[in-house]
Amino acid sequence: MSVTRDDIRKIAALAELAVDEAAAEELERQLSRILDYVAQLAEVPPDAEPVEDGRVLRLRHDDIAPDPLLSEPKDFAPAFKQGLFLVPRLGELDRGEDAP
Amino acid sequence: MTPPRFRAAALGAAIRIAECEAKGTHAFVEWSEEALVEQADALTEEAADGPLAGEVVAVKDVIADRFFHTTCGSRILHGWRSAFEATAVRRLREAGAIIAGKTNCDEFAMGSSTEHSAYGPSRNPVDPTRVPGGSSGGSAAAVASGAVRLALGTETGGSVRQPAAFCGVVGIKPTYGRVSRYGLVAFGSSLDQIGTFGKDVAGAARLLAAISGRDDRDATTLDRVPLGGPGPAPKSLKGTVIGVPREYFPEGLHAGVRAGCDRALAALKALGAEVREVSLPHTKYAVPTYYIVAPAEASSNLARYDGVRFGPREDGGLRDVRALYRATRGHGFGAEVRRRILLGTYVLSAGYYDAYYRTAQRVRERIRADFAAVFGSGVHALFTPTTPTPAFQFGDNLADPIAMYLSDIFVCTANLAWVPALSLPIGRDEGLPLGGQLIGAMEAESTIIRIAQALEAAIDGTAEVR
Repeated sequence: MSVTRDDIRKIAALAELAVDEAAAEELERQLSRILDYVAQLAEVPPDAEPVEDGRVLRLRHDDIAPDPLLSEPKDFAPAFKQGLFLVPRLGELDRGEDAP
Repeated sequence: MTPPRFRAAALGAAIRIAECEAKGTHAFVEWSEEALVEQADALTEEAADGPLAGEVVAVKDVIADRFFHTTCGSRILHGWRSAFEATAVRRLREAGAIIAGKTNCDEFAMGSSTEHSAYGPSRNPVDPTRVPGGSSGGSAAAVASGAVRLALGTETGGSVRQPAAFCGVVGIKPTYGRVSRYGLVAFGSSLDQIGTFGKDVAGAARLLAAISGRDDRDATTLDRVPLGGPGPAPKSLKGTVIGVPREYFPEGLHAGVRAGCDRALAALKALGAEVREVSLPHTKYAVPTYYIVAPAEASSNLARYDGVRFGPREDGGLRDVRALYRATRGHGFGAEVRRRILLGTYVLSAGYYDAYYRTAQRVRERIRADFAAVFGSGVHALFTPTTPTPAFQFGDNLADPIAMYLSDIFVCTANLAWVPALSLPIGRDEGLPLGGQLIGAMEAESTIIRIAQALEAAIDGTAEVR
């Protein structure tokens, strides 16, 4: 399975990760090699049943209580004002990815 | 009144940590004498009577603590102080422990050598030209150097047992759900568990007992009372059946590793255990399964580091919020983390999900079924090598991600199957520590701990094996 430069650009955009051209070239090679390696899983016949062990996730009571924080958002946020996290304008998100 | 012995314990630890770090071990990313003394003096009367009273414990830097920063070995959390304290750390303090500081690790626990830490690698105290293993390499090195006797690490795919083997100490990975992950920075949520390091089996088991048990802040914790502390080492293992999975002893296995395992198995037989060859036929698929499941979960868990709510921010020229995300994440994450985020994004993306992620989940069920079948056939524990080779040298596996991933071939199965496992020293080869692994059935920590104590008492874990 070989990964193309376009694949790298696409998944980097999905993952919101800046990847420069030099890194993209190396990633193309490395991800292709890793995907070739994991392709051996296709040998395993597709009939495995889940192992029953009786485990269930418990849900806790939905009690309304303050967050158990040791510090306030204003102390750890990069930019915070009047109870809000500040970010630059939404830009592309305003228009939507597929807008012309 | 604070009993003076705790201040002395804190000051003694400060001297030992300083000596360890002066040798260039770089086991710690943060520690201070002041924090040690402050905690020692603040121990409550109840904690001063606790099972870990005055015990100094190092904590891997992916576990949140209020005294120290939590950087996860990453630039993206440089200078970050958590707004949470992990349940495991809170329980240590309630048991009387003093937290020594934060230990170095591969960035976000992704790696097998600490070479992927943004703060530089740790060195193996036994041979400083070699890696301590990873990702919890700093914790293993801290214990092996004598800086502390106990440390917390974490595992997603062997990150406690592999460094324990490389450094010649004991490492335990409990059953999935045994220890609360509240305050543990998430990597692969269906795999992550906090584990413990000790100089000996009893020490690591005592530490595990102190942090185990249900926690309402982590819905994946088992609804069980905490584990009890270890008893004395049994003198006999009569009636115990040890399985030896043939897939863990391939032809071409490192000769020193094989010699160490042969000696340990002979000791187990001499203790009266029945040793039986067994098969876990899907073992060879564990690493490829792991390298789909773990990056997929990581790509989702690491989406939260975006420079908006916490941590350093790169503004991307303030063009818009996506430029901010991309710049912050692109600069903040190192090469291995970027590689795994992209791999995880790829295997979860439309058109590839079935071929990769769904297939891996199916194979994972096979791996779990292999263990269930062996433990259902009367086997009490499995014995295997922990690693295919002793500690490797810096740079040896850095250029080839798959070579690095394969150093976890014998350990990542237990994470995929959720079963408990531990590594203990079984000897040395050309001076380098060798680890032997005991794997137990679900929730059977006490069984593998008991067997490990008997084996530890029967062999010299620092003797050359050939």
